[in-house]
Amino acid sequence: MLDLTGISRRFGATHALEDVNLALSEGEVLGLVGPNGAGKSTLIKIIAGADRPDAGEIRIDGRAVHFASAHDAYAAGIRVIHQDAPLVPGFDTLENCYLGREYPRRFGRIDRKAMRAAIAEVAADIAPELDLDVPVMFLPQAERQFVRLLRAIADKGRLLILDEPTAALPAEDAERFYEVLRRTRERGTSIILVSHRLEEIAEFCSSAVVLRDGRIVARFGAGEVKPEAMIAAMGGSASERSTRATDTSAPLIIEIDGVTGGDLTRPAQLAVHAGEVMALYGLAGSGRSSLLNAIWGAIPWAGSMRLTGEVYRPKSPRDAIARGVSCVPADRHRSGLFLVEDLIFNKTLPLLSTYRRMRGLPVPDRTAERAEFLVAAERVSLSYRDPKQLARTLSGGNQQKLIFSRWANRHSRVMLLDEPTEGVDVMAKSTIKDIIRAIAADGNAVLVSTSDRDEALELGDRIAVFRQGGIVRIFSRAEASAEALSAAAQSRGAA
Amino acid sequence: MTRTNLNRFGTLIAFVLLCIGFSIAAPTAFASPGNVFNLVQQMATLAIVATAATLVMTISEFDLSVGFSASLAAVICFVLFGQGYDVWLAVPAALLVGIVGGAANGVLVARFGIPSFVATLALGTILSGFAFGLSGGQSLFQSVPEAFKALGRGEILGIPVLGFWIVGVLGVAAFVLTQTEFGRRLKAIGGNAQAARLAGLPIVRDVIATFAIAGGLAALAGLLLASRLGSVQHTMGEPLLLPAYAAVFIGTTASPTGAPTVAGTLLGVAITGVMVNGMTIVGVEPFVQRILTGVIILVAVLVRRVGRAK
Repeated sequence: MLDLTGISRRFGATHALEDVNLALSEGEVLGLVGPNGAGKSTLIKIIAGADRPDAGEIRIDGRAVHFASAHDAYAAGIRVIHQDAPLVPGFDTLENCYLGREYPRRFGRIDRKAMRAAIAEVAADIAPELDLDVPVMFLPQAERQFVRLLRAIADKGRLLILDEPTAALPAEDAERFYEVLRRTRERGTSIILVSHRLEEIAEFCSSAVVLRDGRIVARFGAGEVKPEAMIAAMGGSASERSTRATDTSAPLIIEIDGVTGGDLTRPAQLAVHAGEVMALYGLAGSGRSSLLNAIWGAIPWAGSMRLTGEVYRPKSPRDAIARGVSCVPADRHRSGLFLVEDLIFNKTLPLLSTYRRMRGLPVPDRTAERAEFLVAAERVSLSYRDPKQLARTLSGGNQQKLIFSRWANRHSRVMLLDEPTEGVDVMAKSTIKDIIRAIAADGNAVLVSTSDRDEALELGDRIAVFRQGGIVRIFSRAEASAEALSAAAQSRGAA
Repeated sequence: MTRTNLNRFGTLIAFVLLCIGFSIAAPTAFASPGNVFNLVQQMATLAIVATAATLVMTISEFDLSVGFSASLAAVICFVLFGQGYDVWLAVPAALLVGIVGGAANGVLVARFGIPSFVATLALGTILSGFAFGLSGGQSLFQSVPEAFKALGRGEILGIPVLGFWIVGVLGVAAFVLTQTEFGRRLKAIGGNAQAARLAGLPIVRDVIATFAIAGGLAALAGLLLASRLGSVQHTMGEPLLLPAYAAVFIGTTASPTGAPTVAGTLLGVAITGVMVNGMTIVGVEPFVQRILTGVIILVAVLVRRVGRAK
């Protein structure tokens, strides 16, 4: 149904897209992968009418089209679904599906029956478990994604473009989401799926293209869509699992004894050795992030903790920093970065008082800040133009590295990482994993909280699995497998 | 001139054009040394209150109590004079009231999580009640000590004393905001409070300190105004509130990221000051002056928005 020929787009001297040819048939599911900055979002924007190509032609059902705006593309049945596309929290599914559309009316009043009639049939088809009358703020994350899908196809959507639809979802919810997406496909809807999770692409897509530096560098047809092949096409190497065993003779750095707080409702027991990476795996809200936040002093907690044998009672992140604990929080835009400040500002902020020229005078020495920034940036392989550029101008992976760089010039005894590779491309992911291993190899204790099962397996020397507010089991390297972790994370009943 | 330069210096250019325009329209009256002297005196209190507003806006909050604090400080000072207290006691006491009132705002915002708009409006109303009560609703102008008059009147080396206050207060504020750890932390809190907290910044302490400083500055402005006028009314500070924020907003149009800066605020104060002064000299009706001042604020912000959308 969709045919792109010779699409090119330039921004100044850079070719965002160069001679891109792409065809998509009715009901086809195409995976679109590539590192950050490869041109994926430009391509999506062009298909969705939000941007116009400098050269090339777009055909729909064989007829050339010229989208003057996103509105035209919408009229042609093209729907882009962003993972965080806004829904009105107080509206239920029906009302959200009608956002921006004309409401059916009866005697001048909004006709809810007609709305239901229009939506319910599609809903029953793709997501029968969805309750249409509950305000979406009471729906779990995964089901809000169903609402976005439903909204897109209910109004004559023929081509769905999904941009990282599962980035915010734990593996189990992602599976449910793909189940719904599969049923959507069976209705004859075409889908373009953009994801950094290559396993999902391989499992779900009948074909895939790899975009790199604005060009399509590889195409995979039915039966050829494999993660290893796609990584190779992107110019990376497949990651390896951690094979190291925990060195139990190494000293214990942090000991957690009966700690509760936030989502962590059942007392947690955990000890991490020097040089060890402890992965904390579980669904969102299972308590793994709360444990990190407790160690970071960011939430009130009860129980007791010891740091290198001494009592450790952080009341604020400030206390934690003073004791040699470092943290890269989840959700870098909300909790990590100062987007309209420069890179140096973002790097030096937490340890600002260490940059004084005179001890008693709280005035940072800008030369020293710059020098340390350069060293830290090198250490985390940050790619940037200028230390004074604003943080918002960096790609996702580099923004994450920028937060890592805060702690790169000091010896952290404990490093806390919450979803460190969320929304980061494959290349940056592997760099970040290398950084994490290097921190551990320095003799520090590293705690990585993740909803990505493969990442837990890849990084963790041991893996603590969380479920319903507590640790259910701690796996050693040898005992852990994908199946065992999933089973532990989601088995219900026995707690 | 590039678009970025136009964005950055557009506000400054507008100010210069404004001055040139009035100089041509009223060459003897506007550009005279006497009028410039006058202008500086008129701008001083507003500049200091606007600086208080700048600090609070740096942490992305509002302080609507600045005008009320200014009035209360002046009233307290004059009531103490009336009771025969010395300047050296009355002035610090009045400043302290401003600081304590500001700190109370900070506690309401940082500790109890009340939106600053609401907290400072409520507290400001309470302060204005005290000012009303203490003054009995009367103008106070009894027995003002000479030392107090010297604070805001007269001149040194041909420059009005209030000019030195502008330079001193705004200079220190600019240094604190741009050069110190405290200033850096305020920008972080204003930019992303959640991230600032997780980066280990002492947010509660810094927010309270910011409001306390703002309260102190407002009180200082009230005292300087009282010194210049020689009398006090319990509502005298209130008209400062809106022009102060107008000045900060005009000032943000001169900063590259749209964040408030002390230099930008000074420019905002100067623009509104020159507008009112120049229009009065040229003989524009007061009601037209107000309309035009409002239009200027909108134009400044609109030009900035349009410039940035590209």
